[in-house]
Amino acid sequence: MQTTRWRGLTALLLATGILTAAGCGDDDEPAAGGATREARTFEAGTTMKKLQDEGEITIGVKFDVPPFGAKNPTSGDVEGFDVDLAKAIANALGAKPKYIEALSDNRIAFLKDGTADLILSTMTITAERDEEIDFSEPYFVAKGRILVKKSDDSIKGVDDLAGKSVCTALGSTYEDTLKKQAPKAKLRLVDSYSECLELIQNGGVDAVSTDDVILTGMIIQDDSLKLVSGDELTTEPYGAGIKQGDDEFKAFVDEVLAEYKSDGPWAAAYEKWVGQYTGEEQDPPAMTLQEALDLSK
Amino acid sequence: MSALLDVLTENIDEFGGGLWVTIRLVGGAAAIAIVVGTLVAALRIAPSVWLQRLGGIYVETFRNIPLLVLLTLAYAGLRRAGVPIGTWTAGIASLGLYTAAYVAEVLRSGVFAVSKGQIEASLSLGFSYAQTLRRIVLPQAFRTVIPPLGSITIAMIKNSAIVGASIIALGDILKNARIVQSDTFQTEESFLWAAVGYLLLTAAATVAFRVLERRLAISR
Repeated sequence: MQTTRWRGLTALLLATGILTAAGCGDDDEPAAGGATREARTFEAGTTMKKLQDEGEITIGVKFDVPPFGAKNPTSGDVEGFDVDLAKAIANALGAKPKYIEALSDNRIAFLKDGTADLILSTMTITAERDEEIDFSEPYFVAKGRILVKKSDDSIKGVDDLAGKSVCTALGSTYEDTLKKQAPKAKLRLVDSYSECLELIQNGGVDAVSTDDVILTGMIIQDDSLKLVSGDELTTEPYGAGIKQGDDEFKAFVDEVLAEYKSDGPWAAAYEKWVGQYTGEEQDPPAMTLQEALDLSK
Repeated sequence: MSALLDVLTENIDEFGGGLWVTIRLVGGAAAIAIVVGTLVAALRIAPSVWLQRLGGIYVETFRNIPLLVLLTLAYAGLRRAGVPIGTWTAGIASLGLYTAAYVAEVLRSGVFAVSKGQIEASLSLGFSYAQTLRRIVLPQAFRTVIPPLGSITIAMIKNSAIVGASIIALGDILKNARIVQSDTFQTEESFLWAAVGYLLLTAAATVAFRVLERRLAISR
């Protein structure tokens, strides 16, 4: 009896192990957009050298925000525009990227307490956030928009949100934007945009407001939704989040980013994750970090 | 230290509002838990096997589903099924029905704590079954269950934080503390004040149950 029980337990442990291993996926695929580059050499004492020696960089990305960072349900891999850029940075370091889920709500804390070495999670550059962490130069510029059901004709602009319930992520810039631009709207602040998608689908809210590219990701998943046309609410330049005061690492990320933007990988990633769905073309952002910071004031 | 106080005073609306939402949530859920819990306990000690099984199914269903899953099913699931349930209804009902399963089990154990000999003695003295329950069993059972009911109440107050964290997203203590955190970036301070908010409520519950226990105590 005793042996049977032990055998059962061992089998269970083995099965768990196999499942876990299978779920881990494989991170060895080459970076998209041909961003593979020779690893560089770094001075001792820098964050780059430390990460290179460790052979691993922990990068906080979104897991549920296609097309920027989303876990592929079939392969279990995280993929998207942010993830491609993350791969390029990890490649330049000669380190393996390890992705952790960074929500709008916890990503700044992740950088401060060292849980993540870098954040690439559709994070808008703001002066307020810049006091807590450092930002790279902008790597993408999104526009704030409103998403409603196709059948909904009552919301034609931000002014029509008065009295309506609107979903956005807790800790995102839209919490503030909506309080200012639509003070009479009932805000529903959830942890992740996938919850906003569920809420607009089940009628729990009338609208979702966030970056156009994230909303486009929702429309790709559900074509009964549409963007409200008209003026954008905001301009949202995305930057990579870096621990406050690590100037060398920021310079390194900016350097990789500049090459990424000028050499073609940016354009390839844009076409792969955004362009082919929206049919729109876009150049890499020319906006500087300072302009982005001024914009948020 | 003053930074700690500033986080509270500058965001008193958020913290106060969150406290009030949690109080209403817990109050509503407690009412449901007591009524439904008592009914289910009655089913579980009923003299019919079928009624007992019905009570058993209730307890096992609600006790074995994680609260977060229950909340998501009650809100998103029902809405998808065409029931236009609101956030408050879904939140209070889920927390109340979930807690009711534990209340029912505690009440049942209280009834079973009264020895069978007393019931037989009461019946042989000519009391009816209902009279026996009302005059002999329940007064003793009630005393026995006060301390565990206190524990359940405290657990319910803390579980209410899951309602705000779920897709229902009511602005309770924890949710509003997280909003303050995202506005001010004062992580530890915001969460510390959230802890104080929950502590206020659980301390009040503890005191209330102590008083109740002392009032109902028999001198032994």
